[in-house]
Amino acid sequence: MNLKHLHSLSLRLIVSLALVVFFFFDFAWADDFLNDESYAEQTTTADVKDPLEPFNRAVFTFNDKAFTWVLEPVATGYSKVLPADIRGCVGNFFYNLGEPVRSVNCLLQGRFRESGLVVSRFFINTIGGVFGLADPASREFEIARVKASFGQTFSVWGIGDGFYVVLPLLGSSTLRDFSGDVVETLVTTSYYPWNDDIVTSATVFGIQDVNYISLHLGVYEDIKSMSFDPYVALRNAYFQSRNKMSDHVILSNPTLK
Amino acid sequence: MLQKKIVTILILSFCFVTLGMIFSNHAVYATPDPTEQFRPFLKKVTDILADPELKTIPKNEQGRRLINVVKERFDFREMSKRVLGQQWRDLNEKEQGEFEDLFTRMLQYAYVGKIDEYAGQKVEFTQQRVKGERAEVQTLLVDRDKSVSVAYIMLLRGDQWMAYDVVVEGVSLIRNYMEQFKEILKKDGYAGLVRQVKEKIEQIEKEKKRN
Repeated sequence: MNLKHLHSLSLRLIVSLALVVFFFFDFAWADDFLNDESYAEQTTTADVKDPLEPFNRAVFTFNDKAFTWVLEPVATGYSKVLPADIRGCVGNFFYNLGEPVRSVNCLLQGRFRESGLVVSRFFINTIGGVFGLADPASREFEIARVKASFGQTFSVWGIGDGFYVVLPLLGSSTLRDFSGDVVETLVTTSYYPWNDDIVTSATVFGIQDVNYISLHLGVYEDIKSMSFDPYVALRNAYFQSRNKMSDHVILSNPTLK
Repeated sequence: MLQKKIVTILILSFCFVTLGMIFSNHAVYATPDPTEQFRPFLKKVTDILADPELKTIPKNEQGRRLINVVKERFDFREMSKRVLGQQWRDLNEKEQGEFEDLFTRMLQYAYVGKIDEYAGQKVEFTQQRVKGERAEVQTLLVDRDKSVSVAYIMLLRGDQWMAYDVVVEGVSLIRNYMEQFKEILKKDGYAGLVRQVKEKIEQIEKEKKRN
């Protein structure tokens, strides 16, 4: 056997091995519910550390009290005054205002088709849905909502999570996602129609929050009453639902909302 | 020359076998359709929930009636096994059975509160994925002002698809409990976990009596 043959043989062996490795690793990495690996070891917290746990737990307790004593009663009262349909419209209105930023984020992440979809959603809903109060883009045109945030963009650019943080009133985040949220807030407020003074802006954000909670009443209590350690349960839920968001391409739902 | 041929054939057959093994996981044989099996089951559950007679019987009886139907399509043993992870293998058969009973009872108590909240929400089947003996059936629970995505993760047992996880808005119930249990196991061991699950059941029972 001469040297040339040996060379081509080893090349073939390397290529086939590379294929095998590629397949195995591809499966192992995908966060797929149909894969046993995704259950075998906890992936979420292993990826993102929680070095500030004692501090985070303190903020968590504060948020819990703030929610139970202030935000939830306010949202409950609000939900009694306004019927669910109108609250849905308020939610749609704020969601629609965020579409331009979402479209830019899609562009920055290289999701060009989705970026176009978001732009068309914005125009359809602003014109056909009367300033975004209704969502005809989902209902009539069947263009599903697209999720895109600055946190995701940073992640696509290779910026790591840093670590897990619980922020006062804002809740679960990571260092990277929180930075993304700050940028997002700065950008969205710059083109909001009420960016004149901080009090108005804060009130608008407050309304947005109360409206959101009023549409999800009882969800937090359910999680709390059914869990053994609400702090761990919510940290895990945060990472799991965030993973789902980044699966937007694979699991995007063609149906409404 | 002959030696070279043999080596080539050996390497090629090795590649084929390995690739064949990988792809066979993906092949869909004549397996039953998971959505078709799950649809009548969910219909049965929502029918029971919508039955006005259900609200007239005692809470505990309500839960028992519901869990008996749910057992037709949910594999609680598989759920208990997954939620414990590594620990499951260290338990003997009797302990495994005991934990299964305990965990099933906890889920039963936790979800019986949901009976009152059911107000005719509709279930829409959106899509399904089958991968070997695993399947995911995605549904949408449509309410008046919002809809919630709920996916069921299933395992093929014989010719029956049995669910072992529920994923609500991307959050898996089993993985969520798994992480909480892992922390408890690390701190208090298995005995501590059993004690805490029992306490949880008592706590839910007490809350129910108060209401």
